[in-house]
Amino acid sequence: MPLDTSAYGLALLRVDGRRWNELRRMHAQIRTQAAADGSSYLEMGHTKVMCVVTGPSEPGPRRGGLGGTASGGGASSAQSKDAEVAVSIVVAGFSSVDRKRPGRGDKRILELQSTISSALAASLHTHLFPHSTISISLHVLSQDGSLLAALINAATLACVDAGIPMTDYVVACTAGSTSTYAANDEAADPLLDLNHQEEQELPGLTVATLGQTDRVAVLVCESRVQVSRLEGMLAVGVDGCKQVREILDRVVRDKGHRMLLEGTVERGAGLDDMEVD
Amino acid sequence: MPITITAPKPVRQLYEDQDDVMSDSDSDSQSSKDGGNNNKYKNMINMIKAESGAAATTTTRSSTKPTSHGEIVTPGEVITDDPQWMRGHGTFVAPATSAIISSVAGTISRTNKLLSVRPLRARYTPEVGDLIVGRIVEVQAKRWRVDVGATQLASLPLSAINLPGGILRKRTETDELQIRTFFAEGDLLVAEVQQLFADGGAVLHTRSLKYGKLRNGVFVAVSGMGGGGGVVRSRRQVWTMEAANGGGQIDVALGVNGFVWISKHVETPPDLLEKTAGITNIEESVSATMYSSQNDRIEAETMREIARIRGVVTALVENGLRVDEDMVMRGYHEAVEMAILSSAGPDDIYLGGERGQQLAAALTAI
Amino acid sequence: MASTTQHALLSPAELAYLHASLSLTPPIRPDGRSATQFRPLAAETGILPGTNGSARICFADGTEAIVGVKAEVERTRRGDGGREDDGGELGGGGGGGGGLGSRLEGDFVEGLEGDFVEGLEGTVFLGAMLAEALLASGEFAKKLWINRRFHWKLYLDILLISPPLSYPLPLLSLTTHLALLATRLPRLKSEGDEDPFFDDDWAAAPYLYTRTKDGKATSRPPVSLLVMAVGNNIIFDPSKEELAVADVALAVSVGEETTKTDEEVDESSSSLGRNLRLLSVRTIDPPSRLTPPGVPNATNSAYGAAATTQKQPEARAAESEAVEGVWKAPRGGAKALVMAALVQKSLVRGGVADEVLDALDAVDLVA
Repeated sequence: MPLDTSAYGLALLRVDGRRWNELRRMHAQIRTQAAADGSSYLEMGHTKVMCVVTGPSEPGPRRGGLGGTASGGGASSAQSKDAEVAVSIVVAGFSSVDRKRPGRGDKRILELQSTISSALAASLHTHLFPHSTISISLHVLSQDGSLLAALINAATLACVDAGIPMTDYVVACTAGSTSTYAANDEAADPLLDLNHQEEQELPGLTVATLGQTDRVAVLVCESRVQVSRLEGMLAVGVDGCKQVREILDRVVRDKGHRMLLEGTVERGAGLDDMEVD
Repeated sequence: MPITITAPKPVRQLYEDQDDVMSDSDSDSQSSKDGGNNNKYKNMINMIKAESGAAATTTTRSSTKPTSHGEIVTPGEVITDDPQWMRGHGTFVAPATSAIISSVAGTISRTNKLLSVRPLRARYTPEVGDLIVGRIVEVQAKRWRVDVGATQLASLPLSAINLPGGILRKRTETDELQIRTFFAEGDLLVAEVQQLFADGGAVLHTRSLKYGKLRNGVFVAVSGMGGGGGVVRSRRQVWTMEAANGGGQIDVALGVNGFVWISKHVETPPDLLEKTAGITNIEESVSATMYSSQNDRIEAETMREIARIRGVVTALVENGLRVDEDMVMRGYHEAVEMAILSSAGPDDIYLGGERGQQLAAALTAI
Repeated sequence: MASTTQHALLSPAELAYLHASLSLTPPIRPDGRSATQFRPLAAETGILPGTNGSARICFADGTEAIVGVKAEVERTRRGDGGREDDGGELGGGGGGGGGLGSRLEGDFVEGLEGDFVEGLEGTVFLGAMLAEALLASGEFAKKLWINRRFHWKLYLDILLISPPLSYPLPLLSLTTHLALLATRLPRLKSEGDEDPFFDDDWAAAPYLYTRTKDGKATSRPPVSLLVMAVGNNIIFDPSKEELAVADVALAVSVGEETTKTDEEVDESSSSLGRNLRLLSVRTIDPPSRLTPPGVPNATNSAYGAAATTQKQPEARAAESEAVEGVWKAPRGGAKALVMAALVQKSLVRGGVADEVLDALDAVDLVA
């Protein structure tokens, strides 16, 4: 076990040299793709994902179907008062160390899709777009732990890029604990942002919050862990989310500033002006 | 050279450094506090919890500090908690407070007491009176469904079009049965937004001689409003221009929704004008060609200039410039000049890749 | 024959205009390109350190693809006739007599949610087409030979990131080409037929497609080009709208002829361009056949009130004859002469395929 507690206890450094409360290097870009409504690219360490958002848009009549069911199509879409958030995840075969054949009906992928979909649907103002669909297409290029967190962050960024109104960013990160469940170590310390190796060996959870608040949007724990350790892990995770929000927010602001400088966006009215009248 | 391959634009450097600084400073500040002592972790966590508890009340509010002039606001950012303002598009009010919070990334705009945020980029949002170019995607019993590049399909009721044979003709059941002879799936039309439904869907009308089915030209979609270029609402969305190189007259229709139609200008045949005396008669004769899907004869010179204008529009968009009459006209003249100087002569209409960048540079330099 | 998966919804008037402008000599393409010109694109390689080779290409219109190549060592099956179920197998080999096999899996993953089911059929076809071109030259399988007992198994995963704004074959083919050019396999340290072990030093890893000292590849993977004909014009790399009025569309896979036996001839001809070899041709069913025809003014019931009294039989008669300015979907198969001309045009020395290979060669390869 490379992350043996004894080794960790000596230097208090993790296998990749981080401290317990450090995020991996996070790099993000928005508007990576001219053709899409919104797009983003996000790296959390060696986990690399891309996201493309199409919509919100109202699907036309199904091509190839019978043309006569026009009214039927209208009725069914009219029933949905909120926009549907459709998430599809494609995990590239080359994304992990050993090449895996991507399976379409993979249960794990389906679960990730529905988790992201419901998390985003809660923050996005879907009520503004009745009968439309927001299609979020995620591509996993490289995996090194914290996959769900990276996917959520990338999807959030792409939605911001697409100009879809939302309550706040949905930001996510992972948290773990320095010793295994079996070790039953009461003194185990929490860890922030697990990589693949840590994820394999240690208990961990993924937490997503609504922006800077403590409102948890997603909490997924797929490993056994003593309940006493959970609180610490959660606190560290929520704190990590706040850091992630700062990083994502700056990516968006930088892009906005650059557009202001290039003159592609008009300057807005400042609050100072407002105070005047 | 049949193919140009360039290296992708380096956009990464801009914030990488800052990221590193950020994570460094973060770890530094915290690690200096814990001093590498294992036993203090529990305290640390408590401290984090305390901080995050405070964050709920302070950190979100920390962004309440007045936004500096003309700057970017991002989702979740409190614009103001002064109750005198009313919220507009791109904002929402947090429950049980008077704080107006931005829901998109963009710049603030205000009209009197109405605060709204213009997104950096978003789909087209219809407004009453907009001139749009749209494509029929579905034909229903008494209306068409039109793709206008918005979040929802627009609808064009049969009652909102000019029927052939005079503007004042009564709509009959025959018209309903023949709905596809006016517009069928795939047809392009220019129309005006007449009203908006409560859910944001637009209702169009073509009850003017300016509007109706499009032919004799090419279509280009300039997706995405706002930043990164695109069609902007301006004084004139439709105009006729005199093309260079014997191209004759060309009509350009810049739909506010970002759909653009460039076509040969067709005069109403003079013999028809002579025959007709009253205004209704003119309308009657014009409406005869209103639903035609047959193109007139178009000279190669005209087609070449149409393609050149299309190239100008795409070059403007790819280089993040706004698309309006002024920019298209200046861009077109610049493109004609560029072609004369180029090796292939004035017939060279290619404006992709580097050519487009040259064009944009020439336009922004003026 | 395969049908294209994405239909461009165009009005009959647009189709008629496009067809007319593309039929001119020289053709006027809506984006102003010349008949043989490709869309400008941005390319980079070596974007994914976790793969043996990778590449990313973006067209200016925003379509984007990423290809990653992963290699695994696989034991060569022997005794069962030396044959594998996949086509990438070669009999014989150096002096072994044992079968040396290489398997190639072209997995294509469609990125667009909306076209899920439709896209799947198309992707299988596209994947097969790309794999077919690679395997058509026996050269490729030889490169994957380690020793008589083992061989490399190469996985090519192709990701189409953007919504398919145009028929994605050229994009995918060019990206695959670049990824393969950038692919490196670890250097073999073991000798003979013992279990292979490899050099850990990635810098020492040789390229799959061997290079000269100055970084130029000495051989290249094939490329598949999309070619279409309208009237008498042959047009390369058609956009979606252009494809919608095509009389014929072909996917032509072109590889480089390796003439080892005739070194001197090769030397002298290198200045004129490469010896290109046709690897495969597939016809693409152009979407133009499914487009709705335009209605000539003479039979249009909405064309003036008087025309509403037109009778049905007349309308049917008019449908069969061409009226200028009215769109009519092409009927019938492609003429053999046109097909031959299409293939010829792509193969001609110093022609389009040649220049495309040159341009791809110039892409800075980082692996």
